[in-house]
Amino acid sequence: MADFAGWKMPIQYNGIIAEHKAVRERVGIFDVSHMGQIFISGPDTVAFLSYVTTWDMKRQNDSDCRYCHILDSDGRIIDDIIAYTFTSEEYMIIPNAATIDTILSWLLENSGDFDVHIKNLSNDYFCLALQGPEAPRLLGQHLNTSVKPFRLVRERNTIVSGTGYTGEEGCEIIGPSEEVKKHWESLVDMGAEPVGLGARDTLRLEKGYLLSGQDFDGTQTTLETNYSWVIDWDHEFIGKTALISQKDRTYAKLNGIILDERGVLRPGLPVFYNGNEISSLTSGSLSPTIRKGVGLAYLNLPINSRVTVEVRGNHLNGHAVRLPFL
Amino acid sequence: MSLVPDNLNYTEEHEWLKVQEDGQARVGITDYAQDSLSDVVFVELPEVGDQFIKGDVMTVAESVKAASDIYAPISGKIVSINEKLEESPELVNESPYEFGWMVLMEPEGEVNGLLNAASYRELID
Repeated sequence: MADFAGWKMPIQYNGIIAEHKAVRERVGIFDVSHMGQIFISGPDTVAFLSYVTTWDMKRQNDSDCRYCHILDSDGRIIDDIIAYTFTSEEYMIIPNAATIDTILSWLLENSGDFDVHIKNLSNDYFCLALQGPEAPRLLGQHLNTSVKPFRLVRERNTIVSGTGYTGEEGCEIIGPSEEVKKHWESLVDMGAEPVGLGARDTLRLEKGYLLSGQDFDGTQTTLETNYSWVIDWDHEFIGKTALISQKDRTYAKLNGIILDERGVLRPGLPVFYNGNEISSLTSGSLSPTIRKGVGLAYLNLPINSRVTVEVRGNHLNGHAVRLPFL
Repeated sequence: MSLVPDNLNYTEEHEWLKVQEDGQARVGITDYAQDSLSDVVFVELPEVGDQFIKGDVMTVAESVKAASDIYAPISGKIVSINEKLEESPELVNESPYEFGWMVLMEPEGEVNGLLNAASYRELID
């Protein structure tokens, strides 16, 4: 078990590689109830959320989900979230566990000019992620429903969204905390393999998904993380001016590093180019799918540049790649 | 329950050691150790000819989640390494006492100060 933003969470149930493969090949289930649920409602909901995120929520239809960033006025990422559109006057956002309080204060601080009501219900809701090629079948069997990618269905207190953190088909089920056991047990009975934090990390890393607090820690902008696709430039939002001025400069961007020889990468390991230390890994592991050491680092280098990563005094050869790895 | 064969010697750091008839000592990690490490995905072995003093970091076994040091259970010289682990590090998990052995050492002096199977069982109990 590991301490994760105040939650006790299992690193693994049955072994990281077995769990990783279960998600890629069959179906896994993750208890991600530590994630936040903040509800925003009122006549100015769309205008407010467009102002505090990189996305223009006017482009959302009812039942759409959207991944985007919440930035400070310098364009630096406070957190990445998924915004759930129930109606134009009722949204839910999912921030990361460690940033719930920060995001909540930030929203309240910036809501002065908007007629919105902000409610943090993070402690009242569970979230289970059902991920893998067989996830749609299990969802049908379990809740007699289906959901398309980045869409949601809501029935009374239970929300099912076509979202996840693994790059596989699947969904996340959100509902009142007291019902989590019922859902978990039923889905595990149907064959969903329980997956811990260990495989959650390798699954998301293979797809180049950001880990809040690690791949960005409050000092990087959306452009630096290489996630410019989450920005809708045609609307006004906090941090936009800073991003516009950064656009024309050169800066290090988050890219992948893949090892050309055997080895495992870890966060924090130094990265070298032409013998000079130029960066350090923000994430790293061994990809169970491609069976190579992979990592993420902020690099100001062309793709395919040869780099080395220092592991216990040895320089392992690798090269920069565009994400995702898989 | 972890497997602890009677005919081996052990360290408190969960290495096993077997002195062969020719006096050389085969070294690996115990079933208990491989189970705590979970999936071993990379083993960094020393080179033949390397000298170690008892307690030195001799080998590193990496799982997906962490790297773990493996210490020299005795002082001595490496005379052979298990090259199969390069291709198949999972042998450490699947067969810790046989196909997953790590190094063969030429002991320097007497082999002593190790635990027998009974004491090691007590340790991991």
